[in-house]
Amino acid sequence: MNNILTKLPFVSNVRFRDAGTLVGLLLIALVFSILSPSFLTMPNIGNILQQSSINACIALGMTLVIISGGIDLSVGPVAALSATLGAAMMVAGVPVPIAMLGAIAVGVSCGFVNGALIAWGGLQPFIVTLGGLSLYRALALIYTGGTPIFGIPSEFRSIANGAVMGVPTPVIIVAILALIAWVVLTKTPLGEYLMAVGGNPEAARVAGVPVSLTKISAYMISGALASIASLILIGRLGAAEPTLGNLWELDAIAASAIGGASLMGGRGSIVGTLLGCVILGALRNGLTLLNVQAFYQLLATGIIIIVAMLIDRATSGK
Amino acid sequence: MQHFLKSALIASALALGVGMAQAQDLAPLNSDSEPDRMDWSELDAKFGALPDVADGTKVGGVSKTLTNEYWRSLGEGYSSFASAHGVDVVYQAAQSEGDQLGQLSIAETLISQGFSALLFSPQTDANLIPALEKAMATGVPVVNVNDAVIPSVAHYVGNVQKDNGVRVAKWFIENHPEGGKVAVIEGQAGVFAAGQRTAGFTETIEAAGNFEVVASVPADWSRELAFNAAATILQQHPDLIGFYANNDGMALGVVEAVKAAGKAEQTAVFGTDGISDAYAAVRAGDLTGTVDSFPVLTGEVAMEVALRLLAGQDLPRVVATPQALITSENVDTYATTDLKALRATLMAQ
Repeated sequence: MNNILTKLPFVSNVRFRDAGTLVGLLLIALVFSILSPSFLTMPNIGNILQQSSINACIALGMTLVIISGGIDLSVGPVAALSATLGAAMMVAGVPVPIAMLGAIAVGVSCGFVNGALIAWGGLQPFIVTLGGLSLYRALALIYTGGTPIFGIPSEFRSIANGAVMGVPTPVIIVAILALIAWVVLTKTPLGEYLMAVGGNPEAARVAGVPVSLTKISAYMISGALASIASLILIGRLGAAEPTLGNLWELDAIAASAIGGASLMGGRGSIVGTLLGCVILGALRNGLTLLNVQAFYQLLATGIIIIVAMLIDRATSGK
Repeated sequence: MQHFLKSALIASALALGVGMAQAQDLAPLNSDSEPDRMDWSELDAKFGALPDVADGTKVGGVSKTLTNEYWRSLGEGYSSFASAHGVDVVYQAAQSEGDQLGQLSIAETLISQGFSALLFSPQTDANLIPALEKAMATGVPVVNVNDAVIPSVAHYVGNVQKDNGVRVAKWFIENHPEGGKVAVIEGQAGVFAAGQRTAGFTETIEAAGNFEVVASVPADWSRELAFNAAATILQQHPDLIGFYANNDGMALGVVEAVKAAGKAEQTAVFGTDGISDAYAAVRAGDLTGTVDSFPVLTGEVAMEVALRLLAGQDLPRVVATPQALITSENVDTYATTDLKALRATLMAQ
């Protein structure tokens, strides 16, 4: 399998672990395509990718944070806060591009607060972002009074609802973001710093890596990606709800973990995370096509995560 | 950047194959006050018996979550009515009541399978909008069934939420002519049903003059939060004569708090939904009453509306489903699994 893969130009860079995730995805696709004739049709594949795109956008940021040895539990509420503020700007007549930048700035600021408390305040990432989970949700609820904001301009909606040559725009946007994240992680100093800080913070410090700034940038990227995900979603929904983004953090962590990210830090892959997102999306889609009850979908998700971890451990030999 | 975004925008707008099937012509729906409406009991009288259903008709239902008895019962109503008319039903729900994107994925996946009609019970007012637009673009009728309301939906089946609170308020006015202090345990803030139920109760009981709503707090549909809130309110107002909770789960939490405070004789507790635990509690004398909205029957009516729409009938935008205040006096009349008898009782109401 690996031999065939490495002959392709792009895939030659794919690591062994990512190939394993890909095999997992192909197995799942094979099973579903045998059981349901509509699974492997173009419209349904478009469906799966579109449904996975929001989780993928969040999971890209989550992967970078996890590689740096942290965790970001506040992504859902950050998304809700930037969505409601961005939507309010659009409804108030602010030009769409500026409102979008405003929403992303909100996400970046939330990420900066998380990162600063962790890197400079010396607090634990889990606790800081758990606090953020409540704090940012509360701000979104207080700001909106609990009611959704309707009336998103249709020029903005047409971006999220569009398709270029049959591929839904959210999928294209997330693919571009993933490419950027992949370049950052594998080709830039920041990527090396993230790996170093997550792998061994003390050694990284001694080697002259700017540990605090590296950590803070990871959370800021995660915040930015959370707000981009929320923009995609409110574009699709035509409304921004303060309750949006509920439990997004868990899906994103699951996708990163299936894709081979280690919650101990220092290890993770953008390609793997994307495959992890598609695995979760395909699973949900396929089980719905087969009319399997939601409770069993949850069961299947749990089993996939644990099996992925067991394979991980067996293959890494630790 | 701005320039780039603008040109990207125009490019994507041009490249768009997908039409934006937004129903611009329909005013945002308020299911309680929409004038284009009818009661479920008038369906036969106004539109005749249900026309024959075409062979191979397949209806998809997407509801909130199966952890709540209400949504399981609704699904039973869908299947019982559908199987009686030779219609196939697929009934799917999200993993939990907070799972908005999961529910959207399920709805989109169902649409791609090609159903004749769809019945949506969305988690929030907005989360199923893309699915609704997709279905409308392909000409598949969508019926919004209780209780979040998609503003642009063309057909809604459900009970009048405001009337729910009004019925409880009327009980207090009748049974406590001397008036007194009452409190409301609300559902999730911002949810249409919770707001309307609370408003119906508060407006009606305050109009009576001698009642005072001393507290109205959200407990997010949670039994535990409702227990804590009720305990605090009782401590503050020991002379409270009654609670109204926006659903039965919360009402049963309130019942425990009232019992723990030793006020079961003095304080009446009302819930909403008519789940089986609530019926048992009404029988046991723990819960004073609940407003049953008859989910199985609601499911049947919703399926009937979908089939009538498929037959080309031009139904009003809102079809209101039945509800009734259940107390120890009438609990045995309504606690029936015989839907025909229940229909007859409610028709006579």
